[in-house]
Amino acid sequence: MLRKSRWTMFTLLFAFVMIMSACGNNDKNSGSSASSSAEPSKSASASSSAASGSAAAPSEGAVDTSKEVKLKMIFVGPKPVDYDSVFAELNKKLKEKINATIEGEFLDWSDWAQKYPLKLAADENFDLIYSANWAGYNDQALKGGFLELTDDMLAKYAPQAWKNMSKVSWDQAKANGKLYMVPQNRGESVEKLILYREDLRKKYNLPAIDSPEAYATYLKTVAEKEKGIVPFTPETGDWKFHNLDRVLLKQQNEWNMFDLDMPFAFKLTDEKGQVFNVYNTPEFKQLATYYKDLADHNAWSKNVLNSKNDHQADFKAGKTASITHNNGTLGALMALMRQENSPYEVALADINQGKKKSVAISTQNGTSVHATSKNPERALMAIDLLQNDKELHDLVMYGINGVHYEPVGDDKYKALDKNPNYTGFSNWSFNSPLNRDNEAFPQEASDLVKSWEANVYHYPLETFVFDNSKVKTEIANVGNVMLRYGIPLEYGLVKDIDKGLADLNKQLDAAGIAKIQTELQSQIDAFLAKN
Amino acid sequence: MRLRSFWHDVKKYKMFLLMLAPAVIFYLLFAYIPMAGIVIAFKRYDYAGGIFGSAWNGLDNFRFFFDSGNAWQVTRNTALYNIAFIVVNNALQIFAAILLFEVGGKWFRKIIQSSLFLPYFISWVVVGAIAYNLLNYDIGTVNAMLRGLGLEPVDIYNTPAYWPFLLVLVSAWKGLGYGTVMYLAAITSIDTEMYEAAEIDGANIFQRILKVTIPNLYPTIIILVLLAVGNIFRGDFGMFYNMVGNNGMLFSATDVIDTFVFRSLITSNDIGMSAAAGVFQSVLGFATIMAVNYAVRRYDKDRALF
Repeated sequence: MLRKSRWTMFTLLFAFVMIMSACGNNDKNSGSSASSSAEPSKSASASSSAASGSAAAPSEGAVDTSKEVKLKMIFVGPKPVDYDSVFAELNKKLKEKINATIEGEFLDWSDWAQKYPLKLAADENFDLIYSANWAGYNDQALKGGFLELTDDMLAKYAPQAWKNMSKVSWDQAKANGKLYMVPQNRGESVEKLILYREDLRKKYNLPAIDSPEAYATYLKTVAEKEKGIVPFTPETGDWKFHNLDRVLLKQQNEWNMFDLDMPFAFKLTDEKGQVFNVYNTPEFKQLATYYKDLADHNAWSKNVLNSKNDHQADFKAGKTASITHNNGTLGALMALMRQENSPYEVALADINQGKKKSVAISTQNGTSVHATSKNPERALMAIDLLQNDKELHDLVMYGINGVHYEPVGDDKYKALDKNPNYTGFSNWSFNSPLNRDNEAFPQEASDLVKSWEANVYHYPLETFVFDNSKVKTEIANVGNVMLRYGIPLEYGLVKDIDKGLADLNKQLDAAGIAKIQTELQSQIDAFLAKN
Repeated sequence: MRLRSFWHDVKKYKMFLLMLAPAVIFYLLFAYIPMAGIVIAFKRYDYAGGIFGSAWNGLDNFRFFFDSGNAWQVTRNTALYNIAFIVVNNALQIFAAILLFEVGGKWFRKIIQSSLFLPYFISWVVVGAIAYNLLNYDIGTVNAMLRGLGLEPVDIYNTPAYWPFLLVLVSAWKGLGYGTVMYLAAITSIDTEMYEAAEIDGANIFQRILKVTIPNLYPTIIILVLLAVGNIFRGDFGMFYNMVGNNGMLFSATDVIDTFVFRSLITSNDIGMSAAAGVFQSVLGFATIMAVNYAVRRYDKDRALF
């Protein structure tokens, strides 16, 4: 009896579950249909506003801003301590100019990589979002997370950016031929440099660090003579290459690599853009030998793969004798160390003197409009002002005049005590020619960049963007192989280099590297044929 | 007739049903309704289409896992680690529970119990950092001690062979207190008359443990093991990731499905592919628990879960 009724209960419960989940289905269906029905109306409004724009064009940009709107923008990086005061000031100005205010939401560095795609996938309610090639711009754009920006829209709602930015920058920001971001408008060097301890170099009378060999000598000497100081500490993270590869593999050989999650490169001077697998090159093998020699001389921690040490903090504290990063980051660290009267004398080294350097493509930083933003017009206007209006630009980049910074001339600023309370998040997307430089930024760092300008190389594939949607499976597997077989090899943990290389390439073949290469090459060929 | 008796039962047990309600609602909301999302595993997810509107792509999402050449290795690692965890952890927990029960002195027992419980509250991130500071080659405490004694230091982070033992040890250390409390509760609820009877019959302490305590623990053991078996194809991500991280040198011995999938997809953020891995684990887990439950049923009907 009891048993029987138990079954009835179970059946009933099951039926209930089915009904509930069916309801859930319906809800979600209606939700998606609602959003899909919202799609045409939005594009309709966009086109109608574009139409009204062309109609209103003769009467000089009469955009209707009578209705006040609140824009929500997503930044990456922690919320600055003085967010409230700075944004209150900023919103006052913004309201005067375009009758809009901005509310920021901040994704902290610790988990932004997980949250960022979710914000888009879950279609949360926001208007503007920081976007960048390293934050999956292409991927998110192709998945439909961002609103496509047409020339008409930009000309009407972001006229200053449209006018000030070079065509190359706009072209670089296109994913699959369509534009989804307003990129930063300032060339930035992404080439990596080496920051080292000049006092240690002098102490042991070592030659100037201007070649890979001189650098190796420096590392080995420190390892041997300075107990307690780790000669080199890499940046933490799930990098699929050795931290020095961008200096010693890419710069040294004048290659370019599209994406550091794949082992493909092409020669900068190669007009045909023939890609090759870097692991199959004699250059790589030579470098692996170089690394192995360094590892055997304790140039980095034996447990480097598990170390979670912050390389910049370690360098500042004198626990490590060299790190690598880009010029801006290293220069800022130097400025900070000098300001704090650090006992260590530090210097920058370019160990690839005279080699070709490339600049960051514009998608290094940018701002995108959310695909389902209700106010794309006002959002674009806000981007335009934050990037190109001196007053607003100063506010969003440096905070409040007299509190966080003090202007020095037209293009420099002096950091005040409160400066750390408004920094460290992704306002970089508003970089523009209006940027001010920190006057404490080390002269040698600026000089180095200037000296590179002669070597900056522009090449036809600069604006090429790989659409990986057809080879996702292979990319996931290749990335895994790089991490598992490539990284230990590069950090000198594999005893036999030849065998390590053979293993690596065998696993890459199994993971389908040939398929990615074919796809990549065919896209490059098509791109070059078109341009 | 049947319906009447059903309503009769509902009325009769309404208090119990009410007490059951929160759990039922919880699982409905967070386990049953979201199950509809399984469809993502068979779709090419795009934002415009969302969960139900995206285009189907058959079994494409499963390809990355099986084409990787690592599917067998990581699945095997996952299952073997979990079997080792279940066996070792339960054995240690039962052992500790019996010891605590036999040891008199309320205060003593409480103090031991609390200190055993403490590791349970330490997050894996912290455990990973502690382990690194203990075990790393250059400045680790263990190696510093070895050097002090004039012995060769061991390079634990580059030697896969140590890791199965290390991971089982850490898992046992962390889970010991929690399991002990559960078993201790089960032991405390054993009828004391049985012990008295055993004592009168002249049983010594070992006989008492073997013939009274352990047989009375069977139902608890079986339920706990059955519940754990359902998750046998789910690696404890927090543990493996924080202990091993991205150290490719150790993957042959430490890679489980969850860390493998995380590493493969963290850069591509493909929701469909990660869902596919989850479905694969769930299907395997479902099959295992059905099989084990069936086996238990064959052995003793009353002790099966269902």
